[in-house]
Amino acid sequence: MEVVNSEVKVEPEIVVSNGEVKEESEKKGTDKETLLAVIQVCKKFNLKETEEILKKEANLTEDEVKELTSASIDHDVNITNVLSTYKSEGDPDLYAESFRKLIKFVETSLDVYKHELITIQYPIFVHMYLELVYNNHEEQASKFMSKFGPLQEDYYQDDIKKLAVVVKREHMKGNEIIDNFRSGHSLFTVRLSRDTYNYLKRYLQENANILSVVQNIIQEHLFLDIYEGMTRSKQQVESSVGGVMGEASRQANKARVYYGLLKEPEINITIPDDDADDNNPENVGEGEKPKKKKAKKDPLLCKKSRNDPNAPPNNRIPLPELRDAEKLDKVTAMREATKRLKLGPESLPSICFYTLLNAGNHHNTAALCVEISEDSHLLASGYSDSTIRVWSLTPIKLKSMKSAEELELIDKEADDVLFRMMDEKNTTDMKILHGHNGPVYAVSFSPDRTLLLSCSEDSTIRLWSLQTWTNLCAYKGHCFPVWDIRFSPHGYYFVSASHDRTARLWATDCHQPLRLFAGHISDVDCVQFHPNSNYVASGSTDRTVRLWDVLNGQCVRLFTGHKARIYTLAFTTCGRFLVSAGADKKIIFWDLAHGYLIAELSGHHDTIYSLCFSRDGVMLASGGNDDCIKLWDIARLLDELDVEDINMSQTPVVRTNTENILLGSYRTKSTSILCLHFTRRNLLLSAGIFH
Amino acid sequence: MASKKSAASKTQSSSSNAPPNMSHFSVESMKMIGESIGVSALSDEASRLIADDVLYRLKLIIQESEKFAGHAKRRKVIAKDIDDALKVKNIEPLYGIKNEEHIPFRFASGGGRELYFIEEKEIDLGEVITSTAFPKLPQDVALKSHWLSIEGIQPAIPENPPPVEKELQRKESVDPAFTLRNNAVDSSKIGLMQDKRKKHVEMVRVKQYATHELSVEQQLYYKEITEACVGSDETRRSEALQSLTADSGLHQMLPRLCTFISEGVKVNVVQNNLALLIYLMRMVKALLENQTLYLEKYLHEIIPTVITCIVSKQLCMRPDIDNHWALRDFASRLLSQVCKNFNTSTNNVQTRITRLLSRALDNDKLPLSSQYGALSALCELGPEVQRAFVYKRLPAIGEKIRQVIEGGGNSVEKSAADHIKNLILRVIPPTLKASIFPTLRSPPDVLEEYKTEFGYLGPSLHAAVVRSRNVSTPIIPQIGGQQLSSSTVNYIGTGQSSNLRQPITLASGSRLQMPTSLNSSQVFNPPRRPNPTVIPQSNQQRFVILNNSPRQITNQGQFIKLLPGSSISSSTTQGQKYVVMHASSHQQQKVDEVMIIETPK
Repeated sequence: MEVVNSEVKVEPEIVVSNGEVKEESEKKGTDKETLLAVIQVCKKFNLKETEEILKKEANLTEDEVKELTSASIDHDVNITNVLSTYKSEGDPDLYAESFRKLIKFVETSLDVYKHELITIQYPIFVHMYLELVYNNHEEQASKFMSKFGPLQEDYYQDDIKKLAVVVKREHMKGNEIIDNFRSGHSLFTVRLSRDTYNYLKRYLQENANILSVVQNIIQEHLFLDIYEGMTRSKQQVESSVGGVMGEASRQANKARVYYGLLKEPEINITIPDDDADDNNPENVGEGEKPKKKKAKKDPLLCKKSRNDPNAPPNNRIPLPELRDAEKLDKVTAMREATKRLKLGPESLPSICFYTLLNAGNHHNTAALCVEISEDSHLLASGYSDSTIRVWSLTPIKLKSMKSAEELELIDKEADDVLFRMMDEKNTTDMKILHGHNGPVYAVSFSPDRTLLLSCSEDSTIRLWSLQTWTNLCAYKGHCFPVWDIRFSPHGYYFVSASHDRTARLWATDCHQPLRLFAGHISDVDCVQFHPNSNYVASGSTDRTVRLWDVLNGQCVRLFTGHKARIYTLAFTTCGRFLVSAGADKKIIFWDLAHGYLIAELSGHHDTIYSLCFSRDGVMLASGGNDDCIKLWDIARLLDELDVEDINMSQTPVVRTNTENILLGSYRTKSTSILCLHFTRRNLLLSAGIFH
Repeated sequence: MASKKSAASKTQSSSSNAPPNMSHFSVESMKMIGESIGVSALSDEASRLIADDVLYRLKLIIQESEKFAGHAKRRKVIAKDIDDALKVKNIEPLYGIKNEEHIPFRFASGGGRELYFIEEKEIDLGEVITSTAFPKLPQDVALKSHWLSIEGIQPAIPENPPPVEKELQRKESVDPAFTLRNNAVDSSKIGLMQDKRKKHVEMVRVKQYATHELSVEQQLYYKEITEACVGSDETRRSEALQSLTADSGLHQMLPRLCTFISEGVKVNVVQNNLALLIYLMRMVKALLENQTLYLEKYLHEIIPTVITCIVSKQLCMRPDIDNHWALRDFASRLLSQVCKNFNTSTNNVQTRITRLLSRALDNDKLPLSSQYGALSALCELGPEVQRAFVYKRLPAIGEKIRQVIEGGGNSVEKSAADHIKNLILRVIPPTLKASIFPTLRSPPDVLEEYKTEFGYLGPSLHAAVVRSRNVSTPIIPQIGGQQLSSSTVNYIGTGQSSNLRQPITLASGSRLQMPTSLNSSQVFNPPRRPNPTVIPQSNQQRFVILNNSPRQITNQGQFIKLLPGSSISSSTTQGQKYVVMHASSHQQQKVDEVMIIETPK
């Protein structure tokens, strides 16, 4: 240990996990830049006085201003500055030599350290390559790439292919991957245990003359997150690596997450007692009064008032009040729930499959997404020809509202005014919604089923009324294709994911986003609301899953471990776990409480596009491009994992054995699965396209 | 524009599978593209730099377009994705390139230049407007529902994939251990459940066996199908045959169906029951046409059955009147179908069948009816076989026919000789005419040569060849024979050809007794023998056959196990004893008439 201590001084300090300091310095930098931009604007519009005052207030000297302005006057110049960290006079042949040496060192190291040390290879490889390219050693760079590129882990090969495209200094500007690697605010993160770190450090010091290149890169471009305690096992390391920018540092997952469910806002339970039918207006009247009393304040009156310590307060996020119709619906839902099939390994759900015909990949109208409403009455799907089609899955046909002239004739005092508003004569099985100007990538029903959201390649989000069957609003905020859209389980809010690398939170009555969740370094591909509406999860092409707090827009969890793009997310019904899956064909379980990866289910052999939990949460259905629906026994998985034992101090063992968890696997006839949905009674509905 | 298009699409195809560093643009294509937009005289150096940069940009765009393919849930990148990627990069997309699966490039060269381009046909709008035949509208999107699974079990309906893939069926039949392994897993699970349910029953460790049991539904289906296939109701029969042709879940019943057919043929050949033989052959045809069955395993039953129907001496009660020839023809086509479908270099089905038939033809004492069958089967096997095996025997056959016709045999023989002659005259001339066989020559056809070559049949053959040459509509050579055969197979199945339907109408008309059901029919014995493949070959495996009476079968599910230990009357060679244990309901009841239990050592 003493040796180590003395060493620390000698060695140029490696950036150790000290998030706060880093952040501060970063802030300073950005502040200055902002000020500078303002000053520039002032100069541009000749607002001298303002400029003077601003300078004074910000304590900026003339020199500083000049220096900074000159640096950022030209964007190109700015980039050169950033990239200039790659400038080195080093011998280009030294790179291959020292990288070979590093590989050898990692390979010959003790097994305990080996697995963690392997993770350091890739970032060093990338930065070495970029340095070579930057310094115009084209030939050496391509040799370096062809020699060591294939040695990197499989899941990095896609990135390496993208990297290999860059062969000239001019290419380095505006390339997504290089932007990520060179940007200061997200350094490639490598997690090492204290022991591994010391071991590495000693080695680097001993061979300082040859490995100086490596040392420089580690200093400048890597963020080593050192943790105390046991070095992780091979399996633990392998399951959590794979992110474009390395692993999540421990710091990123420290914040507390209120993963518990909200207390049910009490609906007068007197209604469900009698076998009243839902259309009886008297019952509606009855239900109204007690609700008003309670909705003001008094959520504690509810019957299931066991206080979940992990639940957020009900008013943490302002939620819309329930309307009468929604209350009735809740009651029906609860009644249905009592008739629910109890699932288990011995009682598997039946699966009803809806096939979309003539909508295969090579049709002009290819179905891209399917969504089934919560009560399983409606099915909506978006198509590549910009249309949306809505089907009724029950014998009840789709009605639209009467025309304005006819509506005027209706007696507004009538009890069944809602019923009278609808045109009973012209009903159809299917409605088509036109409005988008590009492929529709996702649709989402509002919980009360009167609204539908859709998002498209044309970068708009549209809100549709399912009563008038018209477009109510187009939300224009994203400036690139919008990949996914999701209504909050409580309605009113919705969240979108886009190619512009942000996820955004919206409210239906506001044309601008309420929150902007920025942090992913590549496309955000999918989003999902937490059942308590307080959090939003997002999955991205950067192979990470993030959890965002709706309240303050901060990222409270960062999960790495996926090895490819993530296409779908689902929360367990209890709200504690998040499940994600995507192009790497694996389903990964994340524990929100402590931020750990706890299980990895593999079995699919193509991209997974849909995940769904049964209503009682004991079963998970998954499906995708491999034309197969799989059912997983979640009750058993969580039982065996002993979730109560998970704590902050020790990284839990990752469960990968899926032998007893997989309950069934149902192949379709060359029909890929776009959507899975459990009905209130636990019948599994599924939809896909035949090709 | 056109060249730009082709350039973009070219990289799409090349760089998607080639390693990134391999693809490149030539200096020439850069120059040409430059010229097309009005920049002439690009220097080599500049072109190369541009080419490199273009390559880099294109790669970026293709990488971007992959995202769009992923979100459209596709594995392939299509032209639309490239357009979208260009849009994202703020570049105007290339209009006019459709989402076709395959974009055909035309190639042209000239003046030392090579060009790839997409051909764009000019459409005369006036013609389109005035033409009455509008192209059909594409079909609208539709939603169709079915049960993928009912309480964990996939129903065997056409919307679902076949319960056991053909590939798996093959695996099971090739590697019996595979089935056992699977069963081991299953039975261990079952064992666990049993442990829970009834602790009080003493559990004896059972050796593994390959179960081969049918569910109640399957038994009912089997009964219905077999009854319908050989019953008197023609509509039911066609429904049953349709089911055999199209249903996907038959593989478990296949051994039984095959045994049913082969036993049925054995019995009915002896009884000379022509109608039933025809029905059975139609069953064979239906099974052959079922795409989901792995029939290879049962060829040893099917082929002898079919050959029996071809070469049997007598197939009907009154050979002089009944049209058993149609059955022989039909079976011959089936046989050739079997050869076509299942011949491989390892099983040599075709070679073996050909050898068998041609040996039969050599036999002088062969009755004429059998000779007809052998001949017809050989002819069905194609022109090559005809040339190699039939031509040289024609003189001998001709001689025999002559003897019968001129020398006078009985009426049966005479009609047989007539049929043989007609057969030869029907089948041989087309191939003879189109032949490139060295001993045969192109026209003029000399009568003498035919006479020397084919003897008695020479003149008639000559006449037929000359006639067919004179007819202006050419008979399609070579494949013609096969086409004809396959289409006529259809006729007999659907009952459209009046000619071939004759035996059926005749049979149902008067003379032949039709079995009304299985039970009342003496003619029809349900199979009593197990599948011959599983008959023990050595002491390694033993098989015990239990005959259950039908009454027991219909009882609630019974599970029968063979346990070493006590006695039952089963005959086993080693003297090891077995007991049959009846346990109460826990499995789908088994049992057809025959249950096979295999006990590996």
